[in-house]
Amino acid sequence: MAVEAQRPAARPAEPARPRPKREREEEVLVWPDLVFIEFVAAVLFTITFLLLSVFINAPLLNHANQDVTPNPSKAPWYFLNLQELLLHMDKSWAGVLLPTVALAFFAVIPYLDRSRQAQGVWFGTKYAVRLTVIAAVYAVVVSAGLVIFDAGDRTHTESLTRWIPSCDTQAAHQGSPCLRDADPTKHEGIISVKDVSKRLQFSVPFPNIWGIHDKNLDWPGDLDHIPVPLNNVCGNIGSFHLWCDMHLNIPVIMSDQVIPLSTIAFLAVLIIYVLFRLGWVRTRRDVFLIMFTAVMASYLTLSMIGSFFRGQAQALIPPWDIKVDEG
Amino acid sequence: MAVTEDPGKPRNWSERIGVLQDRIYDKIFHNYVWQSIFRSGYPNTPRNQMLVVATNVFLHLHPTRLHRTHVKVTHTYCLGGLTFFMFLILTVTGVLLMFYYVPSVERAYQDIAELETNVKFGLLMRNMHRWTAHAMVILVFLHMMRVFYTGAYKPPREFNWVVGVILLVLTLVLSFTGYLLPWDQLALWAATIGLGIAGSAPYFGDETQLIVFGGFEIGPSTLLRFYTLHVIALPLLAAIFMAVHFWRIRRDGGMARPL
Ligand code: HEM
Repeated sequence: MAVEAQRPAARPAEPARPRPKREREEEVLVWPDLVFIEFVAAVLFTITFLLLSVFINAPLLNHANQDVTPNPSKAPWYFLNLQELLLHMDKSWAGVLLPTVALAFFAVIPYLDRSRQAQGVWFGTKYAVRLTVIAAVYAVVVSAGLVIFDAGDRTHTESLTRWIPSCDTQAAHQGSPCLRDADPTKHEGIISVKDVSKRLQFSVPFPNIWGIHDKNLDWPGDLDHIPVPLNNVCGNIGSFHLWCDMHLNIPVIMSDQVIPLSTIAFLAVLIIYVLFRLGWVRTRRDVFLIMFTAVMASYLTLSMIGSFFRGQAQALIPPWDIKVDEG
Repeated sequence: MAVTEDPGKPRNWSERIGVLQDRIYDKIFHNYVWQSIFRSGYPNTPRNQMLVVATNVFLHLHPTRLHRTHVKVTHTYCLGGLTFFMFLILTVTGVLLMFYYVPSVERAYQDIAELETNVKFGLLMRNMHRWTAHAMVILVFLHMMRVFYTGAYKPPREFNWVVGVILLVLTLVLSFTGYLLPWDQLALWAATIGLGIAGSAPYFGDETQLIVFGGFEIGPSTLLRFYTLHVIALPLLAAIFMAVHFWRIRRDGGMARPL
């Protein structure tokens, strides 16, 4: 007591700082606090779905019939994005490889982003909300934009490239790049990326080697049947068949694989780079935030396009024009 | 000497009713049968509340205590729990549908059509099964986004995130295999698109079609395979992975919290 009394009275009293709470005091009991919330959520959902099921019936169309193909026929909505991708690129990339890459990407996120910062709270890094919003808007705009570009005849984006001349159907070699028109009186620009292998033509002077006889290397004619090394060794290893008589179609590889995939990769790197230069990407977490958001946003966008904007023969049309031909 | 009244003796009518209520309560909740099922009464002390969570087979998926930030609805929006709840509803309604459904191309469509018209609550069960299946797919995506945006995949929860990705795939495949079963035009042609996609797998396209779809065309063996996958193989796998998923949440020290 005496010691206390000797303390200089003038010393400003320290503001009462709350004692740091022990973990236990921050905890609540699962019963009743959590169990109650779970109960309410379960009841709400049960009632909602009961009502929904009373008023809206699950679809049941005609008996399955292999001879009658509905037009358009569509996958369930969560796979419509893959069906949408099928229209724009090689089918094994669209249907199998890209989804596998996406799932593998999801699975390895925690092994690449190992910092323990920013966990357990929503949008833990400094610019997280901003990055998420920007990445989402960017992915929606870009994926919708690419789909629109790839339907150039309907959306008229082909007019942007109409300056590329029409091919001279009489000429043996085209020289500078041109687009072949089915109807010579009606010239069209690039309708879709597939035109790179289907309609684009050009040639470059080339020595007469490797099967070239006319001093010209023609796109696509000279490049669509390139033999793969050893393609005369046919046979099997066990039940696994080796390639046999395999040829590469370079123009199709370009239009169906290289261009679509490198466009996606480029656009992804671009947004990350720009946001990095702006100083908003500070940690690895931020990079994954952008990538994850963009993947989810384009997944959703492509599903919506597949659901609401694809009509007969998968033509891109507004929702009110979609008519299903049951066959 | 102070008057000591016998506390057990009711003095007026309202007390008498009170006693009667207690008796009825005792008869219902303290009888031999009830107590053989529920070993303790309503848990109204912290000790008993922890005990009920720890000893009840359904509640023991939970820890007994939880950090207060985690019971805020805005932290999880209950999404994981609701995904699981959809799975439970799907199991119940699915079992009821199985009573009336034969997975053969001759009968499948007719069974569904008759279920809708001839079976009491058959249509309701089918609708419930359909709509909750869609909801489960949506909820599992939303749950994954919640986990991602709260950074809850970070160490030590890396592996539980991977288990989650497997559950996502299982949920999608469960939903897709179910889609074929009514054997109507919607089902057939959606499955045909799936068949095409599977066939485009490099090198293993044919094998995938043969193994998963039972042929190069959607037919009776596809229906039987999808049915078997849908009603037993995939739900069993999903249940196993969910058990691991829930167990891991506990093992990883409960849900993620800021450092
Ligand atoms: C059938 C599917 C799934 C079910 C039934 C399920 C269920 C749950 C439940 C009940 C929780 C407790 C917290 C909460 O409700 O949010 C949880 C947490 C968690 N889930 Fe899932 N989940 C599923 C799919 C997924 C997926 C697809 C992922 C990620 C790819 C995932 C990753 C996680 C992680 C990392 C946690 C821990 C969260 C934390 O610590 O805050 N789960 N899950």
